[in-house]
Amino acid sequence: MHNTIKVERAILSLTQDDLAKKIGVSRQTINSIEANRYVPSTVLALKLSALFNKPVNDFFKLGDDD
Amino acid sequence: MKPIKFFNGELHLTNENNKCKQMNTKKIMECERERLNKLTNFRLPHSFWSIGMAVAAISIIVMFVRAFALDGDTEWLRELAKKGLLIGMLLMSISKDKEEDELTIKLRMQSYAFAFVVGVAYALIMPYVEFGVSNVVHSGGEAYKDLGDFQVLSFMLLVQLLCFHTLKRYR
Repeated sequence: MHNTIKVERAILSLTQDDLAKKIGVSRQTINSIEANRYVPSTVLALKLSALFNKPVNDFFKLGDDD
Repeated sequence: MKPIKFFNGELHLTNENNKCKQMNTKKIMECERERLNKLTNFRLPHSFWSIGMAVAAISIIVMFVRAFALDGDTEWLRELAKKGLLIGMLLMSISKDKEEDELTIKLRMQSYAFAFVVGVAYALIMPYVEFGVSNVVHSGGEAYKDLGDFQVLSFMLLVQLLCFHTLKRYR
């Protein structure tokens, strides 16, 4: 799975730390998600969706190996 | 009582009274599930990490002092320090992270799984290693003996704490 959270974050001019605080996780968790090392839970994905005001599908995409 | 009917894979009793009983059973099951979840997800506040660290450090210091500076029968102190070390490490192990989120919960679970497997392997292999080494070093050597509970538990807790720390560093 890959994502475009970094782009979405840049559109809203948010740092990793700002985004982390807004959805109640640590900065390292946002870093891990952006680097595709960690696939977040549905709850976290929906929190991101609400923040970006976009459907989850817009910034999370299935990879070839999924 | 009317016969029992099966519908959608669930048990449905035709008698009204039994329907109520079934509802209660579902509620009880739900309650039990919630209670089990609460119990398994239980974590102490982050401040307990420091307390655990202090208890473990004091226990290690006591062990060294007893071994090198105290004379006489101090076996009770050794046992106390062992228990203190285990309690301290357990407190460190079950206390929350400073920024607890779903990733740290996942990493903690990974570290427990790893520590469990490594701990069992250690308990199985280490007695033979000790036996073999003692026979190579001293001719005749020691008799085979299993590991003590303290050795296995402290090893598992140490592996869990180190593994969790390492996973967190590389997250």
